Amino acid sequence: MQLSPRVRSVVTVAGLAGAVLLLGGCSALYPPNAASSQGADIRTLYSIFMVPMIAIFVLVEGLIVWSVLRYRRRKGDDELPVQTHGNNLLEITWTVLPTLLVLVLFFVSWQTLNKVDAEPANPAVTVDVTGFQWQWTFAYPQYNLSYTGIGDQGPVLVLPVDEVIHVRLHSNDVIHSFYVPDFLFKRDVIPGQVNNFDLNLKDAGVTYTGQCAQLCGMGHYQMRFTVQTMTPANFQAWVQAEQAKAKATPAPAAGGQAGPTLQLSASSTTSFDETSLSAPAGQPFTVQLTNKTAGAPHNFSIKDASGKVLFTGLPLAQPGQTVSYSVPALPAGTYTFFCSVHPTNMTGTLTVK
Amino acid sequence: MATTVLAPGATRTYRRSALYEWLTTTDHKKIGILYLTNSFLFFLLAGLLALVIRSELAVPGLQFVNSSTYNQLFTMHGTTMIFLVLMPFLAGLGNYAVPLQIGAADMAFPRINALSFWMLPLGGILMFSGFFFGGAAAEGWTSYSPLAQAKYSGSGTDLWIVALLLIGTSSILGSINFLATIFKLRAPGMTLLRMPVFVWTVMVTSLLILLATPVFTSGVFMLYIDRNFGGAFFDPASGGNPILWQNLFWFFGHPEVYILILPAMGVISEVVPVFSRKPIFGYKAFIFATLLIGGLGFSVWAHHMFTTGAVYLPFFSLTTSLIGVPTGIKFFNWIATMWRGKISFATPMLFAVGFLSTFLVGGLDGAILASPPVDFALHDTYWIVAHIHFVFFGGTMFGVFAAAYYWFPKMFGARLDEGLGKIHFVLMLIGTWVTFFPMHLLGLEGMPRRIADYSPAAGWTDLNTVETIGSFIIAISVLPFMWNVFVTLRGPRDAGDDPWDGYTLEWATTSPPPPYNFDHLPPIRSERPLFDLKYGHGARRALPSASVATTQEGAS
Ligand code: HEM
Ligand SMILES: [Cu+2]
Ligand SMILES: [Cu+2]
Repeated sequence: MQLSPRVRSVVTVAGLAGAVLLLGGCSALYPPNAASSQGADIRTLYSIFMVPMIAIFVLVEGLIVWSVLRYRRRKGDDELPVQTHGNNLLEITWTVLPTLLVLVLFFVSWQTLNKVDAEPANPAVTVDVTGFQWQWTFAYPQYNLSYTGIGDQGPVLVLPVDEVIHVRLHSNDVIHSFYVPDFLFKRDVIPGQVNNFDLNLKDAGVTYTGQCAQLCGMGHYQMRFTVQTMTPANFQAWVQAEQAKAKATPAPAAGGQAGPTLQLSASSTTSFDETSLSAPAGQPFTVQLTNKTAGAPHNFSIKDASGKVLFTGLPLAQPGQTVSYSVPALPAGTYTFFCSVHPTNMTGTLTVK
Repeated sequence: MATTVLAPGATRTYRRSALYEWLTTTDHKKIGILYLTNSFLFFLLAGLLALVIRSELAVPGLQFVNSSTYNQLFTMHGTTMIFLVLMPFLAGLGNYAVPLQIGAADMAFPRINALSFWMLPLGGILMFSGFFFGGAAAEGWTSYSPLAQAKYSGSGTDLWIVALLLIGTSSILGSINFLATIFKLRAPGMTLLRMPVFVWTVMVTSLLILLATPVFTSGVFMLYIDRNFGGAFFDPASGGNPILWQNLFWFFGHPEVYILILPAMGVISEVVPVFSRKPIFGYKAFIFATLLIGGLGFSVWAHHMFTTGAVYLPFFSLTTSLIGVPTGIKFFNWIATMWRGKISFATPMLFAVGFLSTFLVGGLDGAILASPPVDFALHDTYWIVAHIHFVFFGGTMFGVFAAAYYWFPKMFGARLDEGLGKIHFVLMLIGTWVTFFPMHLLGLEGMPRRIADYSPAAGWTDLNTVETIGSFIIAISVLPFMWNVFVTLRGPRDAGDDPWDGYTLEWATTSPPPPYNFDHLPPIRSERPLFDLKYGHGARRALPSASVATTQEGAS
């Protein structure tokens, strides 16, 4: 074959780059091993699809490269090639075979869809997941337990293995998406509509990370959470311990607040309505936080210049609530106050003097 | 029927400045060049935004922009690339080539043509002005509600809406103009089944635009009412339905992606036969496949909504699976056209081969998403970003560059330099694969799209760094192209009328063509009138060693 040196080097470079990419990619061309039985079905389906995909890729790229190399116009070859306009047999073949292929793949994936979307009648555990800008609340209605994410790692969802888990998805503001890559699964969290899915987990004692997969505003990228699996026995023990802990926590002290009271409110999830507060040094004080945001809870917390958290206000102020936080005495200085639910963007300066 | 006035009018008593000519022209060729220039400028702008996005993602941590700026960047990048780069690039190519290829003197409605064009820069300026009024739109090019409601987003979104109303109107007018031109102004002998494949793809695209875009413009208008006059179409807090927006958006949005790829396929179907010295293999099958894609394209929209839990999955999964078939037919047709041909690799052909080998991936990684369970895993991850770019960049943009190198000598009478063209091609091909292929792997590992930052613990850093390097290779590859255009336009205009030994009518007139295009036309007896003229119908004769001088004989 007569390739001019320039063309040859072009082909070599492109070929090498392609080969490196493909080889580097091969093992990584598959998703992680699934943590759930539904995810395992999806992974199997993906692998089935990959067989014809890779075959078609190799066939077509091969034909392109072959035509390019074999049918180059040589120097001095001035004959017009045969002017073929078509070939019915060939054209019917490459219409019918792909049609059959996609129909088969469609039916296979329909089977998997039915398995993945199946919802057995009696789930062992039901979880209510609520997404809001930009955290999650995980609630277990059976056990009266509820956890709202705080800080930039979000909340932990504790789940038993070997049992059917039923997840219900709620949103009060914009659309989010509940996504755990190791489940090979996501489902959108849509206001005005409750989505459901079921889950069977396999390995106990494992932690998976998840995060919101639907753009939901400026904090979308840090709407993270963690899933932690337990054996059913450990899970029951955990539930009991948590319920006991919830009973032991005293209700927030009503009245008897010491020191001056500072007013603070929040009408959105992007910032507090006030961005600077001042308080007396060496004396406890009270912060009254009014949450005017429709969809999300907030609180009032304090950190010092080094980022060390000195005070975390609990419980959170739910939408429409006003909560008073009694803050212990602080030495004079400049501090940052923030909302633990929205720690990166809801901040302000607290001057103590 | 408004027929074009052919007489150039009485003798001019004064000369108008060149600038005035360009600002007021209604000549389809000049408007086409305006479209292309405008698109290229927005391509540079949106490309710059992409470089900022990629620089931000190169390593974990927010180094250059904060997350709300980041959201504005990818929103403006995506919206610009789709509405101000690709659509107008293709409209520009259509504007330039369609009347020439069907032997017409101009578009059917020259003044509406100028109006359609001038709405684009206006829309673009409005949309970008958001950056100076408290932030541009930041909800992604899909602008899902309730995020796009006034409660959750700034006034940049209103500018985005107004801009898209303008741009949408522009493309609706443009599509009517193309349809009227193609149906009414074909030269004698140019039957529908003798039209070049490119003209067919522009025709089907125009039909898609005409049917789909009004749904979109209505949708954004409703969004505007929601935001400014207390409408309640898409906001569940006041009784609206956010899924309604998604249905309206994707009813347009999916045909839109075919709008963005079909004319590029048309370009490839012009370039591959000419440089293989053969006719397109299976002309009728090709047109049938184009029509099928156009038709099926209206029944697949909800595959963008598989994870919403609000659509009937098997139906949309089936239609989506089927739409892969006509695309497959086209691939085999292109390869069969090259088969046993005598291929020469001038830059247009290089980009065509680049299109074939890269767009293939965008076809396959999209076909797998037709399976709802697989989509549950990959939706809204970087897999989707990989897919978008293999289609739009590896596909459409490669087609646009093939067309640019192919028709440049017709537009300006000079051929772009082959050496610089090859450098451009090689860098761009490598850059495309290095930037976008690893995104598949990130998607499989679970990196969601539209995130400003990721944790170092996620293990996504290496691939992201590689992608950022790739994006700078792409950026560099554009420089030789710009230099090439610059020096070629300053050089001699010696390309001749028919530098590629072409098949279709645009090569039968001078380069550049005179106003109103043709003095006489060769007889049109097949889809390759000029080939018939030069080689005789179906005869097997010798190829010229050098480029042929055009014979301008023949009846009309
Ligand atoms: C220099 C080459 C390019 C680079 C490096 C690039 C990079 C990117 C990146 C990183 C994103 C994802 C942003 C995110 O989800 O956070 C993106 C999104 C996107 N790009 Fe590009 N891009 C390039 C060229 C193009 C071209 C030529 C087109 C189309 C013609 C295009 C169309 C899009 C679209 C539609 C999106 C989705 C925007 C959205 O999600 O709202 N890009 N691009
Ligand atoms: Cu989100
Ligand atoms: Cu908050």
